[in-house]
Formats: sequence, C-alpha cells, structure tokens
Amino acid sequence: METLHFLMQGFDVATRPTNLLVALFGAFVGTIVGLLPGLGPINGVALLLPLAFALGLPPETALILLAAVYLGCEYGGRISAILLNVPGDAAAVMTTLDGYPLARQGKAGIALSLSAVSSFTGSMIATCGVVLFAPILAKWAVAFGPAEYFVLMIFAIACLGGMVGDKPVKTLLSALIGLALATVGVDSTTGVYRFTFDSVSLSDGIQFVIVVIGFFSVSEILLMLENTHNGQKAVKASGRVLFNFKEYCFTFWTMIRSSVAGFVIGVLPGAGATIASAMTYMTEKRLAGDSGKFGDGDLRGVAAPESANNASACGSLIPMLTLGVPGSGTTAVMIGALTLYNITPGPLLFEQQPDVVWGLIASLFIGNIILLVMNIPLVGLFSRMLSVPNWVLVPAITVISMVGVYAVHSTTFDLVLMIGLGVFGYILRKLDFPLSAVILGFVLGEMMEDNLRRALSISAGELSILWGSPITLVLWSLVVLMLALPGIRWMRRRKQIKAQADASAA
Amino acid sequence: MYVRLFAAIWLLLCACLAVIAWGFQAPFAYDPVGPRAYPLLLLALMGAGAAWLVFKPGADTEKLTRQALLRSGLCILTLLAYALLFEPLGFVLSTALATFVLGLLFTGRALPCLISGVLMGVLLYALFDYALDVPLPLGVFEALVES
Repeated sequence: METLHFLMQGFDVATRPTNLLVALFGAFVGTIVGLLPGLGPINGVALLLPLAFALGLPPETALILLAAVYLGCEYGGRISAILLNVPGDAAAVMTTLDGYPLARQGKAGIALSLSAVSSFTGSMIATCGVVLFAPILAKWAVAFGPAEYFVLMIFAIACLGGMVGDKPVKTLLSALIGLALATVGVDSTTGVYRFTFDSVSLSDGIQFVIVVIGFFSVSEILLMLENTHNGQKAVKASGRVLFNFKEYCFTFWTMIRSSVAGFVIGVLPGAGATIASAMTYMTEKRLAGDSGKFGDGDLRGVAAPESANNASACGSLIPMLTLGVPGSGTTAVMIGALTLYNITPGPLLFEQQPDVVWGLIASLFIGNIILLVMNIPLVGLFSRMLSVPNWVLVPAITVISMVGVYAVHSTTFDLVLMIGLGVFGYILRKLDFPLSAVILGFVLGEMMEDNLRRALSISAGELSILWGSPITLVLWSLVVLMLALPGIRWMRRRKQIKAQADASAA
Repeated sequence: MYVRLFAAIWLLLCACLAVIAWGFQAPFAYDPVGPRAYPLLLLALMGAGAAWLVFKPGADTEKLTRQALLRSGLCILTLLAYALLFEPLGFVLSTALATFVLGLLFTGRALPCLISGVLMGVLLYALFDYALDVPLPLGVFEALVES
C-alpha cells in the first residue's frame, strides 16, 4: 500500500506540465537518436545531459528527460533495423535478422507496429517490476556497509567481463582504464594531488561530461568517417500499417517471455540490453524449432529482441536507483548526472528524495504511452530522418558536443581534453575494447575507492573486513562465478569442436 | 598486431604512472590506506591485463589503410582547430568554419556545406544563447555588440 501511495505521489510529479513536456521532447529526440545508425542511447543521454544541467532543470526533470531519451532510443533503434538492415543501436542488431526480411516482403508496416507494441510490452512489464522490486531491494541495501559496497562494485565489473563474453581481458582492462581515469584530481581524504601534472584544470578531476562526450560523441564522429554514405535508401513501408489480432496472439507469449527475461538480465549490474536481446532471440529460435522461419522474416524474431531490450533498459534502473551501481552504460551516465546535482544514488534515495525516484518511475509509464502513440503514426516522419546526409548530421553532432562541454566550465582546455579523450576512445574502439566498460569504471571509480578506504578505516587496516560478512561472502562467490564463465564457455566450445572432429573422423 | 602494440605502450605507460604514483604521500596519515595504495593497485592490475594482451592479443583487427589514416588525421586536426579557435573567433565564426570543413570531409559538396555551415553557426547561436541560456563566446563580434 505504501508503494502505491508513493507511486501516486510520483504521478503528481510526472504530470506537472514542464515534466510532461520534457518527457515528450525526450521521447521524440530519443527516437531520432536511436534510429540514426551509430548513435545509441549513451550518445543521446550524453548530448542532452550538459544541456539539462546548463538549463538549470531541477533534478527530477533532468532525470525524466534522460530516461525518456533512453527509452526513446530503444524504440528508435528498430526503425532503421527494419527498414535499412542497419541497427540504429547495438541492441537492435538482433532485430535486423528478421525485421529486414519482413520489410522486403512488404510487411514493413506490420513489423514496425508489432515491434512498437513489443517495445511497449517490454517496458511496461519491466516498469511494473521496478515498482515491485526496487523498494524491497532498497530496504535490503540499507544493510550494506562500505565493505559490502566495495565488493558489489567488483561484482558489477566482473559481470561485464563474464557476460560480454568473447573478450573478457579487454573488457576488464577497459573497466580498469575507467577506474584509473577517475583517480585523477585531488584526493578527497588527504588533499594530495594525483596525476594532475600541475594543471589547475585537472585539479578537481576530469569532468564527467567531458569523458562521456569525448568517448562517445567524438569517437563516433571519427568512426562515421569510415562509411561516408550520403543518406541511405530505406525500404518503402507499404502494405498494411497495423498488425492484426491473429499476429498479435501469435507473438503474445514471445513478448511476455522475452520481457521477463530481459528484465532479469537488465537488473544484473553490468549486463545490458544487447545481451538481453541476443539471448531472448536465441531462446525463441530454439523454442520454435523447425516450425519457425527465423532469419527469413518471423514475426517472433522481431518481437523477442524488441521486448527484451526495452525491458532490460527499464530493469537496469533498479540497481541504479537502489544501490547506486549502474546496470548498463547508459545508467552509468545517468548516475553521473545525479552526482552533478549532488544527489548520491543509493538506498537512501528512496527516503530522502522520493520525488526524484517515484517521479522517474511514474514518468516511465507516461513516457511509454507517449512513445507508443508517437511511434505508430509518425513512423513515416522518423524514417525520413534516415535520409539526412552525414555532411549535415556530423557537423551538427560536433557543434552540440562542443557546446555541451563548453557549458560546464567555459574553458578551451576542456574542449581540447574532450578531443584527446575522443581520439583515445576511437583507438580503443578500433582495437575492440568495449567503451561502455570504461564509462562504468569511471562512474564507479570514486565510489569504489571511497568505500574501500572507509571499510579499511573501520577495521583499522584489517583486510579481513572485505570478506567478513555473509553478504560479502555471497558476493565474492558470485564474482568468482562470473569470472569463471568465459573459461567454462571456452571449455565447452573446445569440447564441441573436438566432438565434431571425432564425428567427422569416424 | 595493433592490439599487441597498444598493450605494450600501455604497459610502459603503467610503469611510468606507477613511478609518479609512488610519490603520492600525505603529509599526515588520515586513514590506514592513504592516497597511494589504490592507484598503485589499479596500475598493477592494468599492467597485468596489458601484459596478457602482449602475449595473447587474440583475433587481429582490420588493417589501416593510408587513406583512412589521412582522413581521420584531417578530421582530428579540424576538431582541434575548432576547439582552439572556439574562444578567440567566437562561436558563430568558428562553428561556420568547422561545419564547412567537416561537411567537405564527409563528402558534401562545397556550396551546400558553406550554406549549412553559416546557417548552423547563426541559428545554433540564437538557439543556445537566447533560447536555452547557455553562454557562448562572441569572439570577434564582441566589439560590434558593445559599440
């Protein structure tokens, strides 16, 4: 009952005219950013964050804006996936497999509307999950001390290494780079300057906005240089615009299953929408067996990844709100946004800032409805965005990035630093290091060191506090499990290859 | 190959940074850990990761061509010039120039790029400075406004 009361209070916040307007704007911008190939939710959130801050929006409004953009991107990614065979963001890769064949068969309208409803179902189920589980988890999380927090953050990083899969060493190294970047600046406990190289501009650390925009916008610009197309021809969305009842029933259970799975994956810290959509697609394909036309245009192949990636996007808000530990790259950026407002995400947020938390949750419901209503009739307008040529698009992104960074401190140093980080990020990306791990590390960095040092202060330097409580022990065993995953997968693959070799030899 | 090269450079960098980090000492001990231990721990772990990649770089990444390298070099230079001229020339002029050059780099034709550059400079200035209240440098136009 208490939850319901808070939720109503949240709706009060979310339905204020400014907040509604901001949600509408965010949903619209998010969809556009999501459908542009190469630009994903992190870019969208990163571009709007400095603006929200410079505009002096109150924290709940800024969060509502960012959440609307985040959701909008997950909706938008599917449009280019279906019409162009180019995923608008990483999570939509799976949608191309069946979405594009469907569009080629003249069923683009059906695929688009059905995937919009899948996205809606996924977000709605996951938002209900947030309402149910977040307060419970927040209550538990109060029992977390500094030692538990420290181990939890190690778990978040280990999750990344274990789940992203084929390149655990690179992922862990990326996370470490992020953690190391966070140590630049004056040490808060002792006042010692670290890695500042006597520069005044670096003395209070590298600003979060600069890191995000450098790593994601500038490196993206350089990456786009490689495929300089001048607008692409999209498949014309012809035929029926809406799916019929039969098609809905056909995919109904797929949506429900994938939403629940996506939600659970999203809640795990570190594992994001990309993994959720890949896993549910594979599961549905296996469940369908020979009866499915997966890969040649099966409606379930569109419904599964779309509901899963939206569900996981909402689910990843749970660790962010209750523990202050991001569940994905995008929520890492949102945590950075909160800290700009001097709000520390974590269990106490539910008691101290109920307006922010419940306003955000309520705005997810509203944002979803806006997005569903916006996406079905406006699909034509959005797909026309795809024909904006790069020679207009890229300079526009550049200018907005510059303004965003300049708005923080108004120094040239920050602009140059942003470009330096962008070039570094570009090199990392070319070498296949996941950048979302860097950003996760950067956000966790300061909290991790603080908690480690606080824990060791409590125990007067005794290291055993880090594994002294049952919670830490459970977390440590999960860490070991996550780190062992790539090894287990590797062994299984070896066994398979060996079995195949034996079979062909016999 | 590139991964191996990167990892080797990174390993070297870790070593240099570790030397710098060794000097982080608080004049007075506030907590049992101090400012030095955590960065050193991170550097040690990073060094271990980089060393692993030196020996096992994994699948090779695609080869760089001279042309691609030239283009990204030009792009980086344009961005740097934009950043450095942002304050002295002011937002409108530097933006118009940068968007024009970037447009050309992204295979736009000269005249449309020029038009879009000037439009973006003026319109975005109006949008950010007047509508959104983000202060931007005026640069060379400053004298005009004041007189």
